[in-house]
Parts: sequence; C-alpha cells; structure tokens
Amino acid sequence: MASPSILLPGDDVLLDLRSTTSTPLKVGAGLRLLHESATSTPPSYTVTAIHAGLLSTDNKRNAISVLSFANHRYIATINDLVIAQIHHSSLDYLHCIVTPHTPYALLGQLAFEGATKKTRPVLKPGDLVYARVLSVGVGAGTEVELVCVNPATGKAEPGGLGPLVGGMVFDVSVGFAARLMRASSTSAPGDTDVIILDELGKKLEHKGGFEVAVGRNGKVWIDCSSNKDIAVQATIAIGRCLTETDTCNLDPIEQRKLVSRTLRAARIDP
Amino acid sequence: MSREVPLTTAEHDFIVEALKRNVRLDGRGIDELRPLNISFGDEYGHVKVQLGHTSLIVLMSAEVVKPHSDRPFDGIFTVSLELTNMGSPAWENGRQSDLEQNVTRTLDRVIRHSNALDTETLCIMKGQSCWGIRADVHVTNYDGNLIDCACIGIMTGLQHFRCPDAVVKDGKVSVYSIDERVPIPLNLTHRPLTITFHTFHDGELILMDASRKEELAAEGDMVIALNDAGQVCAVYKTVGRPVGAVDVMRKTSIALQKVQEIKNTIQKALDDDQSKRTRRNVGVEANSANDR
Repeated sequence: MASPSILLPGDDVLLDLRSTTSTPLKVGAGLRLLHESATSTPPSYTVTAIHAGLLSTDNKRNAISVLSFANHRYIATINDLVIAQIHHSSLDYLHCIVTPHTPYALLGQLAFEGATKKTRPVLKPGDLVYARVLSVGVGAGTEVELVCVNPATGKAEPGGLGPLVGGMVFDVSVGFAARLMRASSTSAPGDTDVIILDELGKKLEHKGGFEVAVGRNGKVWIDCSSNKDIAVQATIAIGRCLTETDTCNLDPIEQRKLVSRTLRAARIDP
Repeated sequence: MSREVPLTTAEHDFIVEALKRNVRLDGRGIDELRPLNISFGDEYGHVKVQLGHTSLIVLMSAEVVKPHSDRPFDGIFTVSLELTNMGSPAWENGRQSDLEQNVTRTLDRVIRHSNALDTETLCIMKGQSCWGIRADVHVTNYDGNLIDCACIGIMTGLQHFRCPDAVVKDGKVSVYSIDERVPIPLNLTHRPLTITFHTFHDGELILMDASRKEELAAEGDMVIALNDAGQVCAVYKTVGRPVGAVDVMRKTSIALQKVQEIKNTIQKALDDDQSKRTRRNVGVEANSANDR
C-alpha cells in the first residue's frame, strides 16, 4: 500500500484503481464525483474531496472514501448507516433528527422490513432507528431521505436496520464513528487502529455480551440488557471507553489498558 | 431549527434508571462537581472558567458614568449575559430564551442584590460621577449548569479586576491610567457562590452539577447560594416536585463544603496569577512608589 495521501477540501483525487473496468466505481463519504467520461476505456473520473482527511481506497470493491478526523459535523452521504431520532410523524413520513439543528430527514412510514399499513412499527417522538441514507438530494433545501429496508429485496439489509429499543446512545466524533465502522468491516487484524469494540466484546462475552450499532452521524448505540445485573454499569463503562478513545486518540495498546481499567473500576471484570 | 434537541427516549430512560443505582454517565458521585479550571487573560478581570465541558469567559470593565438620580452615592454594577450561537447551536442570536432569563435573574439576585460588590465605594463625586462596573459573560461552550459556572466567573472577575484610580481636584474628576497609578481592587462585602441541584424520582434524588443531558432528563432544579462565611444568600426552586425540608438542609451543608472548595480553587488561581504578574513585571506594579 502506498503512503497515505492527505486530502484537503477541493483537492482532486488521483485515482489509482487497477480493476476499474469490471465493477463501477463507488464514491464514499467525503468525496464528490464531478465528471465522468464513460466513452474512454478505462473510464476516467474526476473526483474531488469535500472533507479533509486521508484517502482510503479499496481495490477489491473498487471503492474510495475519505477517512476524516475527529470532527463533529456530519454531512450525509448515500449508503451511510446512521442512528436517527424520531422528531414527529406525518401521514407518509417520519421526520427524523440525524444531526441536531439541521432540517429533518425523512423516513417513509413503510420503509421497514415487512411493513404494510397495518404492520408498520409505531414510533413515538424520541425513539431511535438505525437507518440507511437513501438519497441526499442536490442543492440547498433538499431533504435527506432514510430507509430501514433494501428497496430491491424488501429485507432489512444490512442486518439490524430498524427501530432500536432500549439501550443508550453515546455521542462520539464523526471521524471516530467512521473508524469504528471501518474496523468492523475489515477482517484482517492489524489493518485498523480501533480495537476497542473487539476488546470489550471479548471481555464481556461471558457476561452476556452486548449489542452495538454505530451511526456515521457520530452516535453509538449500546444495549447490555442481556445481563440485568450489570446492564447499567456495563453500558456506562462501554460508553466511557468509547468517548475516551475518541477524545484522547488512543492507540491499540492504550485501548486495551483502558478497557481493563474501566471494567475493573466498574467492578465488572475481576 | 434553533431549539435544544430533545433527549431520546433511550437516553432519558437510561439516565433515570442509572441514577436509581446512584450511577452517573461520567462516573461522578451524586454530590460531585465536574473538574473546575480557572485561568486569566492578560488584562485585569479577564477570566476563563471551565466546568467540565461548560466554558465561559468573563470580562470586567469600568467606566466613569453619572449615578442614578435616586442613589447619588452609589456606583453602578451590571451583569450582561447573552446566550449566542457561540455557546450552543441551539441558541439564536438576539433572541432571549427562558434559560437566559433564568440565569440572568438568578445571578442578579445572588450577586447584585446581595450587594456582593459594595457599590458605595464606586462613588467618585456625589450625584456627578461614579464608576460603572460591567461584567460581560460570554458562553463559549454549553454542557449544563450555566448558573454555577457564570457565578464562579463573575465572582472571580470581581476579585481579579482592578479599577483605575480616580481623583477629584477642584471639582474635576481625573482618572489615572493603569500605568500611571496602581489600580485599586474592588471592595467586596462577601463572596456568594451558587450550587445548582437537579431533582429526579419525585424529588427523592437530588443531583449536584448536572450535565446538559442530565438537566434535560431532570424533573426540577434547586439553586442554593451561599457565601464564604456559610450564610445562605438565596434558595430557588422554580419547577418540579417539592423537596423535603430535611433534604434542603442536608444539601445546603453539602453545598457549603463545595462553596469552600470552589473558593479555595478561586483563591489559588488568583494567587498563581498574582505571582505570575509580579514576576513578569519584575515588581513594577508592586513596587511603584507613587504617593497616594
């Protein structure tokens, strides 16, 4: 792998993707496709960065994205998984808060797995959903649209989309949320610098484990309700581990230490 | 869109549930303040206060003004606090929110109406001119408990500020700049500080120094103001379930301990700053031999 290339907003991305012919190029978070000439072979693209960060390329999936730093401003990108809060409901849509103090995102009343007019989930203001960004629109004043289902198959894909019941949400930076997502998607160990969730999972496995959902909008939902005795302590311990890793930018060794220290302090892990 | 985002049901239920077991999100005890950090700028009366993630800047200033006609011997002291976009995106510039009104009113009562700053010493010439002392509070980040943070800031500012020397000669007022004459510290009669509590579970649990999320989940609040002599200056309870008298007494004694702690922190910060200034000026101010 070549040395990481640092991008600033407005920088052109020099594409170095070998297998461009077979699969179409996937432009991920932090990048915008400005121009595409399909006539030439291989097709040539003009892609510009809209966030500052490190360029990350995935040759297998033919995807590129920008790994942003610990900023707190989320800009919706298509296919991002987000944790949204229901604000109010109207006839056709649920109006959701993805980022505070921005216009509401729309989530169709029937955009859930197996939802019909009679079986749709009833969500109250303040409830949480794990959703995928379907479209972001172009230009000012357009709405972000969310879905909890894959429109093609009618299934909740990837798994876990839908209402989040119980648990607790913690706020982390947008960059850290992206790193958490990346850590869970890459299989090879050593490829990521965020091992906190793996480490917590290992330590809490015999205590009943926990459920986690990471939203790209800088929210992490944790549920430890499988073990009633330590649910509250464990949830708070996980939340503190995450926020501390984020704010202090800890490396893997420090993350391991943090996990054992926090769990010991919470009297969960002897 | 500029409104405080309501707490999600999950967050609300979790915070309340955790407090049943006396556990707080940041691992603090029920009667524990967040880390308090006080620092000073170059000028006198420029104070930065950080209470956890809540932070604000207080800037004191003095100008010669005409006293109110009904109080010719009194100087004027004003506290100006405006919640702008700088502190939180939920606040709109130029529109007064309930929070702003509440904080301003409490600070006014606790600091101004309790006569913490002896305004009679601000008089320069009867009915003609006096000092107008102004404390500007700028909130730079908001994570709950604005009242305590602002109160600490203003009280520290009053102790740190130095007023220029003014002299009346032949019916004319002349003000000496800070370089000409040693400026004079303000005359404080007492040092009140507030401790804010929030109530949960029908007033059963009373929590000190709530963060923003805890404030949103709380049923009601209670503000206790005490001075360094241990006298209660004010007790406010605006909303929420009633709190028992025994609880109020218990919390007052806890608040007194905290006020002493905060007072020591303020004093230490002031001493550190004073020694820093003396070192920097190589005693220019401390030794300036002007005859007054």
